[in-house]
Amino acid sequence: MKNQIISIALILFTGLLSSCNDDPVADLSSEESLVYYTNRDKSVDFIQYKTFSVADSILVIQNNRQGYSLTSIDKDMLEGIIANMKALGYTYVGPNDNPDLGLTASWISDTYLNVASIPISSYWGYGGYGYGYGYPSYYQYYQTQENYWLVNMLDFKNADTTKKSFPVVWNAQIKGNDIENPLLINTMVDALFSQSPYLKQN
Amino acid sequence: MKNIILMAFLCIATASLAQDKPKLYTLPSPFERYNYSLATIRFGAAVPIGQLSDQYIDKATFKNFSASLEWVLPNRLSIGGEIGSSNLQKRIPRAVYEFEDQTISAVQTRTLVLQPFQAFVNYHFANKNDRIQPYIQLSGGGSRVDYSLYYGNLVDQYQKIRPTYGVGVGSKFLFKPDGSVGADLRAKYTNTPFKYDYIDGNASTLNVSVGIFYRWW
Repeated sequence: MKNQIISIALILFTGLLSSCNDDPVADLSSEESLVYYTNRDKSVDFIQYKTFSVADSILVIQNNRQGYSLTSIDKDMLEGIIANMKALGYTYVGPNDNPDLGLTASWISDTYLNVASIPISSYWGYGGYGYGYGYPSYYQYYQTQENYWLVNMLDFKNADTTKKSFPVVWNAQIKGNDIENPLLINTMVDALFSQSPYLKQN
Repeated sequence: MKNIILMAFLCIATASLAQDKPKLYTLPSPFERYNYSLATIRFGAAVPIGQLSDQYIDKATFKNFSASLEWVLPNRLSIGGEIGSSNLQKRIPRAVYEFEDQTISAVQTRTLVLQPFQAFVNYHFANKNDRIQPYIQLSGGGSRVDYSLYYGNLVDQYQKIRPTYGVGVGSKFLFKPDGSVGADLRAKYTNTPFKYDYIDGNASTLNVSVGIFYRWW
């Protein structure tokens, strides 16, 4: 009887331990799940730039492959970037009009295939021979995917002539649940620029 | 007449027997004579204090429980072990966080799970069968600490086993004299030295718990 009571108590307690390991972010809304990262080159004074241009489509990178896309959500993204840059005091010019800054937007979709081994290395029920399987342990595969938006701001004014490259003076990433939602695209683009007050011209 | 005398004798004998009977129970109960075991399950609140409250999570939790097993010695001491779990959590509305070259805007969900496993010694201020048995407790051991800081649904997780110690005051309340079941009330300070990210030294909590115990010999 005593042992039964203790067993029941232990089972209840174990159940409680596991019930408290809920996902603490399961209740986040799509908007709340969004995370905006912006990085800047602190040595750069953005006052020196006056004009900018924006790439005419979205660069889509999927693992090592890449291509271009211009769906309606892509257009909203590019238009959002232009509107925000204008609001900060920059002048929008065409790519052939010698812009000081060039902005590109990309959709990154990386898929990772992960391997984990199942630790069965011997047939424990088979007599006392101590022989293992004649082939390696089983493996299980699982796939993870990471999608995010990436916006880069390139300095066309101070090109690195030795490396033949344009320095990235600012970049931004948007990660979260529902980042393909067209209803959130304006919120997302506005957030990137509102958390970067140092870009302001006036 | 003989019958009356016999009846009177019987009455007196019965009465004296009835009076003698309680003497059988004046023997100390087994709980007073032997070592015995006592198991307790506790639930309650954990309140972060000190650096933990100032720097990371200042919100109390009711996801706080523990189970202990102790051996009550013939003197006023008992020794035992306890495992438990406190699940602290706080949501911070969207805010901008500045790092060296990086700015992050996110809704933060801060969590800290402390799962202590400790040995303890209790000193009781009352006898084993008193209905109210106040005690003080000293404990020491380890704690599995799970620090998970979520930016949106992206997590920075850090897990570590750290030393833990605690001091508590409480009381046991027997439901009936010489009974096996009772309640336990306890307030306990626990500290786990821990340093990572927001927490700069100590994760301390004040745990106030209500428990139920069962004892056997």
